[in-house]
Amino acid sequence: MILQQLSFIDWLSHHSLACPFKRYFGYDCPGCGLQRSVVSLLEGDFLASFKYYPATIPLVFIIIFTAFHLKFDFKVGASVIKFAFLGIAAIVFINYIYKIYTHQLIA
Amino acid sequence: MSDEQQNPPQNNPIDLNKPEQPNTPPSGFGPITPPPFQQPPPFGQFGGMGGQQNLPNATVALVLGILALPACCFYGIFGLIFGIIAWALGGSDVKKYQLNPTMYTESSFKNAKAGKICGMIATILSLLFIIFFVLIIAGAITHPEAYDRFFKGFN
Repeated sequence: MILQQLSFIDWLSHHSLACPFKRYFGYDCPGCGLQRSVVSLLEGDFLASFKYYPATIPLVFIIIFTAFHLKFDFKVGASVIKFAFLGIAAIVFINYIYKIYTHQLIA
Repeated sequence: MSDEQQNPPQNNPIDLNKPEQPNTPPSGFGPITPPPFQQPPPFGQFGGMGGQQNLPNATVALVLGILALPACCFYGIFGLIFGIIAWALGGSDVKKYQLNPTMYTESSFKNAKAGKICGMIATILSLLFIIFFVLIIAGAITHPEAYDRFFKGFN
């Protein structure tokens, strides 16, 4: 079972979709790093996941939380989702500015 | 015969009058028109029966609004599409709830509102990125050297 899982992750890491933006224009888009980040998260490497794309862990959290919220209907669920979403949007934006600023766009 | 002939004419006027009374159709339609005015109460009663519904698009708006954020890749266009759809669906549901607060559940209203706001944020973010891309491409075409300096550093 574990072997199967590992081979799946291995397969995933070699079959991630190439970013069309990066392919044509040569620099990262705001979503670049998300797939590598998800793969490292599946491998259990939280630090690498954060380094590839800081918004992945909050994104996974908000998606799981939304699923639970739609199922069980928490009282403050909607406002939690709102603020978490705002925070994630800020993380994505700041991450991209930071990448530009530190010249990481062209890898 | 003459009496009979006279009678029918008399009857006819009466018959005509009878139709005419309904024929003052305003009065005839009068009783019919109230129902449309009474339609709102049935809605209220329906809501009051405890049959509160979820807003139809609240869940879809919320899910689309959240998915719009990871969809920011692919030129920001998918993020823009998802965001705008979530914004529109959430907005229409919020309006629907405000028109008829008793008919829909409050939790679905909150979801719709959250979906609307998430869609709004995603739309704004995607728009920012798209504007940024256009500026960068324009800059790369018109000032290649400055572009290189800006993105590759001074190495």
